[in-house]
Amino acid sequence: MSLSQWVPLVVLFTLATLFALFSVTIAPYIGPRRYNKAKLEAYECGIEPTPTPPGGSRFPVKFYLTAMLFIIFDIEIVFLYPWAVAFDSLGMFGFVEMLLFIVTVFVAYTYVWRRGGLDWD
Amino acid sequence: MTPDYYLILAAVLFTIGAVGVLVRRNAIVVFMCVELMLNAANLTLVTFARINGSLDGQIMAFFVMVVAAAEVVIGLAIIMSIFRSRRSASVDDANLLKY
Amino acid sequence: MNDIQLPAIDYAALLPMLIVFGAACVGILVEAFAPRGWRFVIQVSLTIGGLVAGLVAIIVNRDLEITTIGGAVTVDGPGLFLQGAIIILGIVSLGLIAERRLERGGPFVAEAAHAANSDGDKRQEREPGATEVFPLTLFAIAGMMLFCVSGDLLTMFVALEVFSLPLYLLCGLARRRRLISQEAALKYFLLGAFASAFFLYGVALLYGYAGTVSLTGIREGVLQSEQSGILLAAGLALLAIGLLFKAAAVPFHVWTPDVYQGAPTPVTALMAACTKAAAFGGLLRVFNVAFETTAWDWQPVLATVAILTMVVGSILAVAQTDIKRLLAYSSVANAGYLLVGVVSLNGAVGSSLFYLIAYGFSVLGAFAMVTLVRDSEGEATHLSRWAGLGKGSPLFSALFTFLMLGFAGIPLTSGFTSKFALFSSAWDSDQSVLVIVGVLSSVVLAFPYLKVVVLLWLNPPGEETPTVSVPSMLTRAVIFAGVAVTFVLGVAPSFLLDIVADAGPFLAK
Repeated sequence: MSLSQWVPLVVLFTLATLFALFSVTIAPYIGPRRYNKAKLEAYECGIEPTPTPPGGSRFPVKFYLTAMLFIIFDIEIVFLYPWAVAFDSLGMFGFVEMLLFIVTVFVAYTYVWRRGGLDWD
Repeated sequence: MTPDYYLILAAVLFTIGAVGVLVRRNAIVVFMCVELMLNAANLTLVTFARINGSLDGQIMAFFVMVVAAAEVVIGLAIIMSIFRSRRSASVDDANLLKY
Repeated sequence: MNDIQLPAIDYAALLPMLIVFGAACVGILVEAFAPRGWRFVIQVSLTIGGLVAGLVAIIVNRDLEITTIGGAVTVDGPGLFLQGAIIILGIVSLGLIAERRLERGGPFVAEAAHAANSDGDKRQEREPGATEVFPLTLFAIAGMMLFCVSGDLLTMFVALEVFSLPLYLLCGLARRRRLISQEAALKYFLLGAFASAFFLYGVALLYGYAGTVSLTGIREGVLQSEQSGILLAAGLALLAIGLLFKAAAVPFHVWTPDVYQGAPTPVTALMAACTKAAAFGGLLRVFNVAFETTAWDWQPVLATVAILTMVVGSILAVAQTDIKRLLAYSSVANAGYLLVGVVSLNGAVGSSLFYLIAYGFSVLGAFAMVTLVRDSEGEATHLSRWAGLGKGSPLFSALFTFLMLGFAGIPLTSGFTSKFALFSSAWDSDQSVLVIVGVLSSVVLAFPYLKVVVLLWLNPPGEETPTVSVPSMLTRAVIFAGVAVTFVLGVAPSFLLDIVADAGPFLAK
């Protein structure tokens, strides 16, 4: 157990700190400025809430569509993690198979994109 | 702690899900009960993987999760289309088809 | 970490499935990029091309017998035969799916996203139907093909879902009577998901019992496992529930009439022919490969299910007043006959395969003819509306009569030869009780068919007799194929019987 094992961690930590500082410093200079009411509130996420009629009501169907698309693309990561962990021993074969897998997911993605599934309005 | 407890928990979850499918009225809740059954099966798979000392069960759980996600999407799409037409997701209101 | 053994993959064995899956993926890209006006032509040619290419690959593979990708796929004689049967029946039912002359825009809705009876729905009434149905059909067929050659239960579960999910959607896409169609989709989906959860829990228990989910591994595990036999019994029972649901066996048949009636008729035809073949392919493989050595334990139970299915299916068929529901209950009863083949194990594999082909073509022809009888509301499926059609449309009525007689099992039709082959091989496997019940129930089942025939020819026409529309070449080809195969297999069945005999038993090692 030598200290040199921890060098990658230190490097990662340094890089992360530098990146965070860089992002925070540079953002006000190059980022677009589009103010809206939501950004001035105490806990802001920057997106104005979708107006709902008083007394509560159903959410627009768009939310369901987005949630469904999210589920289906999100779950594919389940296959990517084991592959990434065993990447060295799977080698080229695993890489090609995973590429094929991603291509098939991408086919579905292009369908969603071309048919307007990703447009909010 | 013996793994048997997990098997029993999974069996209980599966039963709750199965009973839920049979007694609940809202299509979404029925569907959630089906998901509970699938997850009970997943828990069983992972527990047996531990008992048998092989990884197969865990890999199978991954596949089941992906299939279940696809099923969720299809199911929500069907339930949503029927809800938009009828303004109700109750399985009792879906009664046009009968002898 | 270099101890991972990569599984050997025999791409030739997988080629038929890869072709069909690939065509389905290309079909999705066509939906994404091809201009709207071209999609229909491109999709139809792509779908037929993909299926024909898959069929050619199967024929090239015909002598293959191999277990590949780490035991996930077992290609053997019966598996290849079933794949070929599913593709051929799929090509034929594609004629109904692509039909666009009977109804302006085809049998499918243009934009399923419009709520039924909304303004948007009224506006889209005359627009051409969605072409997504073609990739969906391809995915369903490819899933069925994989289901028939699965070497382990996990692959089987995935394949089950791959062919079920598109079918759930297809059920809900009818152009007319959309509420009923959506309701059919909802019922099919909820019950199908329920059944697949049972299937999966069964898989999990069998995994605990045998330590593996491969069918051959379970076969060996049965002989040497130290786990409790309860795991085996419960696992097998739950697994069987999932499979019997897809096969529409009593008491898991309740979805069948509703879904068959509510779904667009081309999809009903696809389900009646192809899903039946796939479900029984899976049942035959599971019971013949994994559980043959425990046959004494499950045979009585499955025999009871078979008897119930035959009796309930044929008796309830008598009471039906809607032609699609009648055919649905007849398909339940036919599932019972096929279960006799499953109970008889290896002795009846060949005749079960023969039965699936014969029944598939007859039922495709019958549903094709159901799509022709129309009034302003779309298809007129209530039997009272069919009264006296024989006077105005003698050719239609004659062909439908022939198919009904085929279902009833009259000699010179495939209904007779297939039942005869199935029952005689079951008799040779000492299932005499099942055969007797089967013959009796097919006598009962002949009654509703003959009732339709009488209705067509002898009853006076009602006040508003629907018309028999003139279809395009596609539906004509389907009807011709259905009638011709019903006749040819009735008079000269030997060539197909030779093929199924050549297919041999399931690969169990």
